[in-house]
Amino acid sequence: MANTNSRRIRGDSSLNPTWHYWMLYLLPGVIIYIVFMAYPLLDSIRLSFFTGTGAERTFTGLSNYVKLFTDEVISTRFWTAFGHTWIFFAIHMLVQNVLGIIFAVILTNRTMQGSRIYQTIIFLPVTLSILVTGYLWKLLLSPVWTGDILNSIGLGALSKPWLGQESTALIVVSLVSCWQWVGMPTMMFFAALQGISEELIEAAALEGTSTWDLFRYIQFPLIKPVVGVVAILTFVNNFNAFDVVFSMEGANGAPNYATDIIGTFFYRVGIAGQHPVAIPDAGLGAAVATVIFLMLAAFVIPTLIQSQKEG
Amino acid sequence: MKKFVFVLLALLLLVPTVSIFAQDTLTMGSWRADDVEKMNALFDVYKEASGVQIDFQPTNPPDYNATLRLQLESGTGPDLMYVRSYATGADLYKSGYLAKINDLPGLADSLTEQNLAPWTIDGDTFAVPVIAVTHAVYYNKDIFAANNIEIPTTFEEFLAACETLKAAGVTPLANGVAEEWDILETFFLGMLPNYIGGAEERVLYESGEKKLNDEAFVKAYTDMAKVAPYLPTGFEAVTYNDSQILFATGKAAMFMDGSWTLGTYGDVDFEWGTFAMPAPAGSETAITFHLDAAIGMNAASAHPEEAKAFLAWLCTQEGVDALAKYLPVGMYPISKLEVTLEDAHAQEMLSLTNEKLTDVRFVWPALMDLYSPMNQAVISVLKGTDPQAAADTVEVAFEALKK
Amino acid sequence: MKKSSSLKMANKHIPSHIILGLWSILVLFPIWVMVVNSFKTRFTIYSNPFGLPEKWNFKNYISVFSDSDFMRYFMNSIVVVMISLICVLLLGSLVAYAMSIWRTRASTVLYFFIIAGMMLPIRIASIKLIEIMKSLGLLNTIWSLVPIYIAMGFPISVFIMTTFIRTVPGELTESAFIDGAGRFKIFYAIIVPLLRPAIATVAIYNLVPFWNDLWFPLIMITDEKSKTLLLGVTRLFGQYQTDWSKVLAVLTLSALPVIILYLTMSKNFIRGLTAGAIKG
Repeated sequence: MANTNSRRIRGDSSLNPTWHYWMLYLLPGVIIYIVFMAYPLLDSIRLSFFTGTGAERTFTGLSNYVKLFTDEVISTRFWTAFGHTWIFFAIHMLVQNVLGIIFAVILTNRTMQGSRIYQTIIFLPVTLSILVTGYLWKLLLSPVWTGDILNSIGLGALSKPWLGQESTALIVVSLVSCWQWVGMPTMMFFAALQGISEELIEAAALEGTSTWDLFRYIQFPLIKPVVGVVAILTFVNNFNAFDVVFSMEGANGAPNYATDIIGTFFYRVGIAGQHPVAIPDAGLGAAVATVIFLMLAAFVIPTLIQSQKEG
Repeated sequence: MKKFVFVLLALLLLVPTVSIFAQDTLTMGSWRADDVEKMNALFDVYKEASGVQIDFQPTNPPDYNATLRLQLESGTGPDLMYVRSYATGADLYKSGYLAKINDLPGLADSLTEQNLAPWTIDGDTFAVPVIAVTHAVYYNKDIFAANNIEIPTTFEEFLAACETLKAAGVTPLANGVAEEWDILETFFLGMLPNYIGGAEERVLYESGEKKLNDEAFVKAYTDMAKVAPYLPTGFEAVTYNDSQILFATGKAAMFMDGSWTLGTYGDVDFEWGTFAMPAPAGSETAITFHLDAAIGMNAASAHPEEAKAFLAWLCTQEGVDALAKYLPVGMYPISKLEVTLEDAHAQEMLSLTNEKLTDVRFVWPALMDLYSPMNQAVISVLKGTDPQAAADTVEVAFEALKK
Repeated sequence: MKKSSSLKMANKHIPSHIILGLWSILVLFPIWVMVVNSFKTRFTIYSNPFGLPEKWNFKNYISVFSDSDFMRYFMNSIVVVMISLICVLLLGSLVAYAMSIWRTRASTVLYFFIIAGMMLPIRIASIKLIEIMKSLGLLNTIWSLVPIYIAMGFPISVFIMTTFIRTVPGELTESAFIDGAGRFKIFYAIIVPLLRPAIATVAIYNLVPFWNDLWFPLIMITDEKSKTLLLGVTRLFGQYQTDWSKVLAVLTLSALPVIILYLTMSKNFIRGLTAGAIKG
């Protein structure tokens, strides 16, 4: 004990502590992470090479992967869901994150009154459970509920079965998700913008720089690292998104799979099974998760390595 | 910060860290989250009779299958559980999670072979059937009287009634398609026996002798499509709950639905009743009578004797009486023993099946994989797809499955 | 600042106020709808969806409290979320600090190993996690949730904090080091205060999913005494499904605690976000 203690202190005060020293910082978190996340996940991924459940599990090599890409019904569903997830992601980038930047820039302005109140309001939906958001917007968008009122004030055109039309359902669900989460990027950009010195902004204002130029040449370059972080988080979160579709359109991504995304597809295949039979295929589910993981890693890791080199 | 930690510690003391299970308590899993009160009343009756307490632990329907499976796989499943009919239940049995109960005392006296069929595979029975449901048209008697409409006896008369109602500014039917399952299960599969007949015909489709896009099926899709103009405006986004509200508030005159919602309209301020969806002129009206739920016991239960005793009790007259009394209105006990229902609406709806041909929902026994294709076909004809083309997609899906 | 210029600035804000004002309406309107309709009855929410109730109906709330052990659920959720959150922040910041100074190939590999956890749906590991909790004897207690939430929040925590800590100029920390402060002292005396914006971000980023998680309570906890708020009230959705006014009362009650918590904390949160900002 005394020995370890003295080594700890040596590491603590050394200019280049050895890796032993850093283990004290790393191990507590990493151990919990390995036991409760990495190990269970890896063990589950192993299942992608098996079929059957419980005791009847048999090794079948890559057959789940083959099935995922060649079975007519399954592969169609997979690629449809894959496409929808990209649309879902694109809408979040365009609406959620762009609004986030706009809000953050406005809020950063020191002479703007009521900034604190606006911040609170913008962030409010983030705190709501998706159950609340889903139920509320389903209700608000229902022609049965709001149709009469909208008709009576001459806005009858807004009373459409938005969530029931294949052409609009995915966009509407994505927008509801943006509505809920926009507070997150707003706060992150807001925090980043605080780092820009006031003198710089004031000097620019005195020179008559336009708001757009101020943003383009001063603010945006400085928050670029945060933009990267937000983009990566949006990307990763959207490929794991599930709740918003599940609560508004069910596990099938109604109507006619128009809102089916990777998250709901994975849930149907691997966790719950297709209604009403509801027999999940754990092996196929693991294969879906593995494929998605590889795709995410292929995008995210090079981006991070790139940004590390820059930083 | 210090204060905060203190509050947190105080909170910690208030939370029990270990849960203690009483020895003589059984747990029961179910998807019937609506029925907590009634089931607890039923279990009180059983506790009086046997001294064994049963703890009802329902999960909401969309989560039930997934969570039950995970609990069973990890050895933490409930002692007793609701079991769905046919493939879903059979799969749990084949995976070894449900106990075989062929030798349960009273089983043969209380239930017929047809009753047991949905929960029997290769001669092994794995659950005691408890709930059957039927499908029919709920109608608002006041609106019918105000518009001089009689209960239709043919599908053509039914459409004429819808037209009269629509002309009078009333939404004829409350059904929607937003949740997808209800339009198929209650509406299309509810009226399907009118077009293709009962169990004897069904097996011909299952074996492939008859095609799923034959004349009878196309006629069924065609008639389904004729209903579209009488559904609520924006029916594409009308959820099952919206439909119930439309009917309950008198905004819609009729609602094709299952018997399980009979209890929902106890407090409405109009007279209502039910009638069987009539067959087209020249055909006999048939009706779906679906065996929906059974109760099975966990093969790995720590209290096998107690669990089995409860199942045996369900097969006694006392048990059936308790079921008839405490099952929610419109969930009919399954038994050949005497079943006495108290609710007049429930009696009326059950009596619709008298002397009519009945069958379970078409896809359940053998064609579950066609559930989704048929669901999409039904929705697509309502949205304007040609009925023949819709029927073809289901047949194509069936052919693909056989490969 | 001169008066004239500040006036000019104030005028400029009109478009800003319009944008934020419209957004505020879009945010507050659904919440208003949720709250007012929870005081109506099953049928009146359809005849009068947006206005104040003509007759205030408190029965919905009474039935929520009588049909569930609401206060216990609430306590369980608070305990689970707070402990998980504190652990995530502590463990995450320790790792982030180590990662910022100990930069070798091994640390990079470890970093990506941790980040990878963000990219897999943890639901897939449900069976294994139930088995682990069962063998630890934690099943059916709220303690089965804490380690899972820590593990769930850990990768994002490390990701955000590491990204942030690397923007801290090295001179700031190394100068203190040369002054003779130990590494650990530098960590809690200099790094942690500097990290405040990142800590605030991570806290909020995880608070919401922890508080609103339904899946793990659903599969781990069947015992009434150990239910979390969302799990406890979710059963009421099934029970009340035909009565929207009651559902809205449940929703209001499940949303209020977080909203109140947020409103009381938002000052600290925003200060946290802005306090440690490094002038660039």
